[in-house]
Amino acid sequence: MASDKKYWKSVEELTNSSFVETLSKNEFVQEIATDTFLGDKETLANSSTSRRDFLKYVGFTTAAATLAACEGPVKKSIPYVVKPNDIIAGVADWYATSMADGYDFANILVKTREGRPIQIMPNKDANGTTSARVQAAVLSLYDEKLRLKNPTKAGEKISWIDADKEIGAALNKLKEANTPVVLLTGTLASPSTERIIQEFIVAYPNVTHVIYDAISESAAADAMLAMYGKRALPKYHLDKASVIVSFGADFLGDFHGGFEKQYVAGRKPETGSMSYHVQFESNMSLTGANADKRIVAKPSDQIFALINLFNAITGSNVPSQATPVDAQVKQMAAALKKAGSKGVVMTGINEKNAQLVALAINNALNSEIIDVNNTLNIRQGNEADVNQLIKDMNAGKVGGLLTYNVNPLYSLPNATEFANGLKKVSLTVALSTENNETVNTSNYVLPTSHFLESWGDTQFDEMTYGLMQPTIQPLFSTRQLQDTLLGWSGNTTKYYEYLKGFASTTILNGSSWNTALHNGFFTREITTATIASENSVTDAAIQLSNITKKASGFELQLYTKTGLGDGKQANNPWLQEFPDPITRASWDNYLTMSIADAKQLGFTNPVKDNGAIDGDYAKVSVNGKEVIVPVMIQPGQAKGSVGLSLGFGRTFGFKEEMQVGVNAYPLYVNANNIQFGVTIEKVSGTHQFACTQVQKTIAGRHDILKVASLKEYKSVDPKDHHHGWNKPSYVSYDHKEVEANTIDLWDEHNRELGHHFNLSIDLTSCTGCGACVVACHAENNVPVVGKREVRVGRDMHWLRIDRYYSSEVETREDAKELGLSRAEMYEGLETEAENPEVTFQPMMCQHCNHAPCETVCPVAATTHGRQGQNQMTYNRCVGTRYCANNCPYRVRRFNWFNYANNNEFDFNMNNEYGKMVLNPDVVVRSRGVMEKCSMCIQMTQATILKAKKEGRAVNTDEFETACSSACTTGALVFGDVNNRQDKVTALAKDKRAYNVLDYLQTKPNVIYQVKIKNTNEA
Amino acid sequence: MSHYEAPIREPLILGDKSYHDITEDIAKPIEGKANKNWYMAFYISLAAMLWGFGCIFYTVGTGIGVWGLSKNIGWAWDITNFVWWVGIGHAGTLISAVLLLFRQKWRMAINRSAEAMTIFAVFQAGLFPIIHMGRPWNAFWVLPIPNQFGSLWVNFNSPLLWDVFAISTYLSVSLVFWWTGLLPDFAMIRDRAVKPFQKKIYSLLSFGWSGRAKDWQRFEEVSLVLAGLATPLVLSVHTIVSMDFATSINPGWHSTIFPPYFVAGAIFSGFAMVQTLLGIMRKVTNMEEYITRLHVEYMNIVIILTGGIVAVAYATEFFIAWYTGSPYEYYTYLSVGAATGPYAWAFYSLLLFNIAIPQLLWFKKIRRSFIASFIISIAINIGMWFERFDIIAIVLSKGHLPSTWWRFEPTFVDVGIFIGTIGFFFVLFLLYARTFPVIAQAEVKTILKSSGEFYKKRSEQGIPTKPAIVVLDVEKRSDKSDKNDTE
Repeated sequence: MASDKKYWKSVEELTNSSFVETLSKNEFVQEIATDTFLGDKETLANSSTSRRDFLKYVGFTTAAATLAACEGPVKKSIPYVVKPNDIIAGVADWYATSMADGYDFANILVKTREGRPIQIMPNKDANGTTSARVQAAVLSLYDEKLRLKNPTKAGEKISWIDADKEIGAALNKLKEANTPVVLLTGTLASPSTERIIQEFIVAYPNVTHVIYDAISESAAADAMLAMYGKRALPKYHLDKASVIVSFGADFLGDFHGGFEKQYVAGRKPETGSMSYHVQFESNMSLTGANADKRIVAKPSDQIFALINLFNAITGSNVPSQATPVDAQVKQMAAALKKAGSKGVVMTGINEKNAQLVALAINNALNSEIIDVNNTLNIRQGNEADVNQLIKDMNAGKVGGLLTYNVNPLYSLPNATEFANGLKKVSLTVALSTENNETVNTSNYVLPTSHFLESWGDTQFDEMTYGLMQPTIQPLFSTRQLQDTLLGWSGNTTKYYEYLKGFASTTILNGSSWNTALHNGFFTREITTATIASENSVTDAAIQLSNITKKASGFELQLYTKTGLGDGKQANNPWLQEFPDPITRASWDNYLTMSIADAKQLGFTNPVKDNGAIDGDYAKVSVNGKEVIVPVMIQPGQAKGSVGLSLGFGRTFGFKEEMQVGVNAYPLYVNANNIQFGVTIEKVSGTHQFACTQVQKTIAGRHDILKVASLKEYKSVDPKDHHHGWNKPSYVSYDHKEVEANTIDLWDEHNRELGHHFNLSIDLTSCTGCGACVVACHAENNVPVVGKREVRVGRDMHWLRIDRYYSSEVETREDAKELGLSRAEMYEGLETEAENPEVTFQPMMCQHCNHAPCETVCPVAATTHGRQGQNQMTYNRCVGTRYCANNCPYRVRRFNWFNYANNNEFDFNMNNEYGKMVLNPDVVVRSRGVMEKCSMCIQMTQATILKAKKEGRAVNTDEFETACSSACTTGALVFGDVNNRQDKVTALAKDKRAYNVLDYLQTKPNVIYQVKIKNTNEA
Repeated sequence: MSHYEAPIREPLILGDKSYHDITEDIAKPIEGKANKNWYMAFYISLAAMLWGFGCIFYTVGTGIGVWGLSKNIGWAWDITNFVWWVGIGHAGTLISAVLLLFRQKWRMAINRSAEAMTIFAVFQAGLFPIIHMGRPWNAFWVLPIPNQFGSLWVNFNSPLLWDVFAISTYLSVSLVFWWTGLLPDFAMIRDRAVKPFQKKIYSLLSFGWSGRAKDWQRFEEVSLVLAGLATPLVLSVHTIVSMDFATSINPGWHSTIFPPYFVAGAIFSGFAMVQTLLGIMRKVTNMEEYITRLHVEYMNIVIILTGGIVAVAYATEFFIAWYTGSPYEYYTYLSVGAATGPYAWAFYSLLLFNIAIPQLLWFKKIRRSFIASFIISIAINIGMWFERFDIIAIVLSKGHLPSTWWRFEPTFVDVGIFIGTIGFFFVLFLLYARTFPVIAQAEVKTILKSSGEFYKKRSEQGIPTKPAIVVLDVEKRSDKSDKNDTE
């Protein structure tokens, strides 16, 4: 249909003005002056573009086009359109929260920058401590590879609504049929979650809750139940102990979550008394390494020794066996009796009867050290329930299985049985933060939030109620377990509201919710006292003795490593790169074997020409189960026993370079960390280890790491030239022997102005736990280099903890007495003893006031700061590495490659999520430059600026470094020696203070405190 | 210009040579065609050089991590090769400068090639400090150039900076000295050249040398002045290189004996390399009559002397390591610790090649044997490489803290770059042998009458040597004169 409608654009057009018509015909109102340029035909004809001009034009246009085609790297940075009130760009926010991943539990502070958590520190107000694993957990948040990103059904993406609908329907169907459904979780230690689970069970009465810990301490919990009627773990107040006897209890490691803070608190030589700690153990553990006396005993001997001690203390007469350590047991019985209530006995043997015996001894001693009232809730797993579940599943009795952050298919010794049973379960739902074997076999996968993205509460011990708050919006489409269960139970309350209500009504007792949330914890009172039952443990002891008498063959002690624990964070590159404190091997687990056994079976650990260590493989068989593992010869390992750590060998969903170690869980039969009747066979093949330290002893250089006994400390003049325990170095000057620090080649700067930083390291308090190493990693963006590079000696740790074993020939004087030749003497000094004493020495840039590195840099890239730091200017560095060669402490680290954005180093700095953990205050170094400890200058400067802004002087002990604030035991103390009140000022002048290699006169700003051991007592 | 020389002295020029014969002999390799051997040697060297360049590009493109270094051993083959090449470069200056001042006429047959070797060796040496840097593109930061980076300036305390000055001074003085000596010889080639292109090149190279008496006078003066300037360099360069180690605080490096010991070692290795090169060159370019047994013997004597100094220095180091009684000194590169440790093979290689084998030169028969000298010179070259490797790798492998003890193993890149520099060196040397007058013919001619075999025999027979001016006359009248020869 034709239309005679007229569309018009202006009134003039409508009224048909001629002006518009003229305009519409004339596109250009003014004539373009083409004539001026082209009109003159003659000029045009005469003008010519010479070849030269043509080339110029071509050249110019090509260059211009090329330049235009070059796209600069686009960095997406999006400014806040509306700035959130609580975020100031460049200023960190700290949140108090809690970590609870089923194995590691801690009250922590989380540092966030621009909305990203970048560091975890202990919440010291809550007596919180952080291990290396807790420190590293912040990186697991950004685990792009393993974290689940959205709900799935049989591998296909599904919406939350659909998933809830389908699972709800399935649950209802099972409920109607009254088919059992099991909720399988790890230890939650969360009162509100437990309440939610109870409510869920009310809604679905066919549901039962089973708790499964990959690493079990249920024997200790069961023993407590039997003796005190309370299924929990006792706490040990080791700070009050005078005698500590431990039978394989790694209480500075993972035994009951660790007691290093209390232990070190009881070992302060300046108080005049220290606890006396004797460790009977087979593997060389961190605890044994720190003991005043470490007595080597294989597991069966430990058990008999424990029974013998029981007999000696209680006067019972349980049949036992003689052990090679009976003399020491007798001594310890006397010492414990003398100590009375200040003595304590612990055992790490995961056998209920053994735990009962230990409890009985403590009971007999009337020990004040063991605390059965304020008990620990961090290991609630129950093997019996788990085994029943597997049986039921295989019998087809279980209709539904909901798993929450557990991976039984990896961590169960009978994982195949579990897998078979799982096939008979119709509804399997995995609620999990990260992908794993178990998640992979479940019908429904519901991603749960990381603890740093979650609300929650915790109850690690009876007195400390902790709160968990999100520090970042969930990175992926995740939902907390609690919200899921609330929804399924038909409760529409959000978990945050629920938690707030729960805490306010049942816990906080009228206190402010906001205050508790701000503090991250709330201290509760315990009113009920737990009393021991009168039941005799003699039967238990007899039973224990009888079982142990059957022990034959090699004895395997399974243990957890400081770095990886139960293996939950095995995909965390910081933890894989973290060297084991004892063996200093990273990226591996291995069979530890005594020197004598290795010699007999033909195992060796040759050092290769590139400095790396190799090992042979062994086939380890226990009860028909076999694994092939590399062997690491371990001084101090009990003959006839071997050790193997759990938590390694995870492969599912891992990148190839992260698939390291061997899964030892198949040998963890009945969750018992001791396995008898083990056979070991050498098999072919060579394993390549990645150790950060090769030389095991200190080679007679005792001025590097000074050790003295408590008796010497109390009675001998430390500076005494001959007998002193903290002798300074002497040098010859003008043909006279003078103290090295009295002569100086250089003019001393005036260091009394402004701040002058010192770091004191107390070797007595340092347990070697390595939390500082990971803290330094996080704070300073230290790159991860991977196994291949660590193996050839290129780890980048700014802070390392050197470990030295003692040798049979300890000093040159010893050698002279033994009449050794010079070569024999040095061989003796270099060879570790079969059962050595162990010492740890944290080592980082010493910030020498006369720094050897500073004089040799041709471009002055490393210079001295006014505040005592030796400063490294990365962008001036040309990378001659002379500074590293001239550093007597060898703490400088060179960027051999680009470690960021490099596919060859596919760790956290090579993906967008992993990079979110980087500290924006510290630059990421490029290849070819040297780097090293900066004494956390970004932290000290921030402290200074903060004080300045607030118009005040810096407070006493306000300065901190990452390592000093991460240190659980207070071994690392940082501060300003120009502030007389700072703790470090007194420490710098302490009679225990010394500098490493003081004869070189480098005058470091890092001070060590002589290690004092309580070796004279007992 | 002739002088009197006792007839009992052995002649320095063999055969019945006239001035023109000398010209012909020396111009021959330049004017003639290269033989198969030359091409073979050249292509092998070129291949090695290209391989080395490939390794260098790989290093610069990827990172120093492609070498075998580690956190505890920050230098190994890189600085070993650097010091080795600098050391080799030492003989040239000694021969041309010190021996000139001491009026040692035997230097005339070998100084040109020795100096060429110096310059080419310093090229190789200079490569290493640059490519061993983590960021070689910023290498110019070690130069004290006024800059816009703020108040940034180099660190004059650093021995590496002294190295920069020492090596660059050494290279420039050596180059000028060498070129000065080359001027009359280039002019000779220029005047003989028939191809216009060649003529043009050589006239450019000869800087317009005219052969006037004034030219000769200035030539002599400049030579003397440069010899005076270069003589301290013989001592300074390796003294400074030794300070890279001596001023550090590593036991085994921190040693006051290093400067003299390094200088002696450098001359030792430099003469060994001259011996090696001339052993080949005299055969290939038919210079047997100019580079004689006597030359070889003289050089061997210098080798025994400097080798002796080096041996005493080793013994001193070994003694001091023991005498200090310091546990830190026990593992220095010359100590029982080194002899029993993982680097024992390197320790014994050093002793064998540097101390044991050169002692054979005490025997006159060996000292005067071309073949034996050649083999011994190769052994010394190897030994001196081990010396530097031992100093660097053994010392760094046993640091102050036992926890930092480590070992070094070279990667294919380490090896490739080293081989590459050898290839590069020979490429340069082979090109030089084809295009440069390899013997300072102008100088050699000055001793023909006094030290030539023919004239010596004549004076023995009682035929008096005529005064120089007359000799020139005689030559002009001689039938052998050639119009192209301006000398």
